[in-house]
Amino acid sequence: MLGKRTLKGRIGFVIAVTLLVSFSLLPFAQIMSTSLKHQFDWGNPSLIPQVINLDAYKELLGLTEAKEVEIPVAIQKILDNPKLPKAKRDAIAAKFVSNDNLFPFGKYMLNSIVLSVGAASISLVFSIMGAYSISRLRFKGQVVIQRSVLFVYMVGGVLLMVPLYQMAMNLGLASSMWGSVFCLFVIYIVQTLPVGMYMLGNYFRGIPFALEEAAMMDGCSRQEAIIKVVLPLSLPMLATVFIYCFIIGWNEYLFASVFLKQYPEFHTLPLALQELFVSKNAIWDRIMAASMLTLAPIVICFLFASRFMKGGKTDGGVKG
Amino acid sequence: MASIKLKNIIKNYDQTKVVKGIDLEINDGEFVVLVGPSGCGKSTTLRMIAGLEQATSGDIIIGDRVVNDIEPQHRNIAMVFQNYALYPHKSVRENIVFALRRLKVDEKEVQRRLAEVSEMLQLDELLDRKPADLSGGQRQRVAMGRAIIREADVFLFDEPLSNLDAKLRAHMRTEIGKIHNKFGRTSVYVTHDQVEAMTLADKVVVLHDGYIAQAGTPMEIYLNPVNIFVAQFIGSPSMNIVKGTLFNHYLEIAGYRLPRENLSSVTYQENIPEHGLDVKVGIRPDFFNDKNFFAETDATFNFSDLSIDLIEPMGFDKEVLFNLGEATIKARLDLRSEIARGDKMDLLVELSRILIFDKETEQRL
Repeated sequence: MLGKRTLKGRIGFVIAVTLLVSFSLLPFAQIMSTSLKHQFDWGNPSLIPQVINLDAYKELLGLTEAKEVEIPVAIQKILDNPKLPKAKRDAIAAKFVSNDNLFPFGKYMLNSIVLSVGAASISLVFSIMGAYSISRLRFKGQVVIQRSVLFVYMVGGVLLMVPLYQMAMNLGLASSMWGSVFCLFVIYIVQTLPVGMYMLGNYFRGIPFALEEAAMMDGCSRQEAIIKVVLPLSLPMLATVFIYCFIIGWNEYLFASVFLKQYPEFHTLPLALQELFVSKNAIWDRIMAASMLTLAPIVICFLFASRFMKGGKTDGGVKG
Repeated sequence: MASIKLKNIIKNYDQTKVVKGIDLEINDGEFVVLVGPSGCGKSTTLRMIAGLEQATSGDIIIGDRVVNDIEPQHRNIAMVFQNYALYPHKSVRENIVFALRRLKVDEKEVQRRLAEVSEMLQLDELLDRKPADLSGGQRQRVAMGRAIIREADVFLFDEPLSNLDAKLRAHMRTEIGKIHNKFGRTSVYVTHDQVEAMTLADKVVVLHDGYIAQAGTPMEIYLNPVNIFVAQFIGSPSMNIVKGTLFNHYLEIAGYRLPRENLSSVTYQENIPEHGLDVKVGIRPDFFNDKNFFAETDATFNFSDLSIDLIEPMGFDKEVLFNLGEATIKARLDLRSEIARGDKMDLLVELSRILIFDKETEQRL
């Protein structure tokens, strides 16, 4: 019988799902586990740390007290040498005294949030307008526009990276920090807009036009009809598109590495992570804790958004 | 309250001509039904009145303003859609008062009207539900409520009953009639169902292929259709059409000779050739009468000795089928006529009810 559940079938299903889920979750478990381990524990293949160590998180989140860095005796001797010019002495001392080995995680996170949330918001607004026009309005060149927006995806980022940077240079944007940030902003929007438009456009097509007509008969202008009827009905898709754009921006490394290279104060998390890997701070628990913290907002975002993503919003409005 | 005038309305979609020139006057408070087969332009006409479609040319006048370039939201029109078009994210209450809230009508007034409408349409228990939790008939009532509460100048109905089952449709039809009697608003109702057209309308407008085929009261259209299209479209079961030959003094149908002096269609004055004029003859199934229960007079004609091929009992009525020449003819008799398949019987028809149409143009002669 079709759709009948046998015990064997159910067990098989559970096993398959478990395997799939653990396969995708294992790397995250590894990150989590390592971030909580003490140094002596790193070589241990077990996922469960012998002793839980939260130092890495504390350090990244700036919860530890600033350490007084003592200058080693040998170095102090060199510094005490009166022949050493003052400038040189200060430079050497600064190397040891400065606290720049502290990873300014909060700042990077703020940079990432500003860039990705900002770009996602603007991208969403443009997506709504673009998607509405390609799904509802009839105008010349509609089909061409509709298809050509996906053209962006035919060319990989690596190919575009250099010409885009050159263009930014020629415009004089790459030479200032805010110009570079602006460029990156525009790039993120352009990158996410096509998929946003595509997803929203298909969703808008699924909303019966009669609903907007009803709103217009009820005294709304077209814009009001969109705001009061179409958008509330599209909430699940709006949330999905926003998160999609947000994640693209949050995880983006390639363009950020080019445009923000000279502006460390505006580095984003992926850039910072990369730097952490190669810096003298390359300590496993720290790297993993930083990865974990980079992951966290996305996971939270998803959990939060899944409430909006319940489908079937348009049920019952029209019949036939 | 307002009258509506359509002046030579034309609507083309690119190359496709949908509405090809409609002139229509709808008086204040009149209930006009636009009826016709699918693709005849009736919904398009309605949507042009609503402002949801732009007329290619011609004038639409509501009250005393030309509304061609006025947006739908400023025309003060309420509309009931075929698929109801309720806002799925709003409760029934919010659906109904949506327009009033937008107009910032005083809250007391909103509640007063809501109470009135919800009582009339028996929506009291549904007010807090979402459209998805309603049955088809309930959704239909909400859609009606949303239109009524506006107290708009004009009501438009776009096939509002076509999604309901037969029983509910009959019930809602009556309700719409009652509501119209109560409020007396100018209403335009689009349907392909001739029963709705006949029962609801003050004036029926039969559309065919983008033109008005005929406009008039339901009975005018039923009794005096101008052509075969209208004759067959209005009335159920539809009118029988048979070939006939018109001579100077009689009309011949499959060997029966009907005297011409009592036929209603005697206006045809041109000389009829010796060998007669081929015509089409229309007789409604309802106009056949069993000779046993109907008095034969000079004004009736007796189709004698008809051989009954099939009987379709419908309860009170029965439809009997027989051949007249090449055509199969349907007659509606009542339950008194006891006949069996293969029986011979005589059927009387009042001569004035027999309509004669031109063979080529299918217009009334």
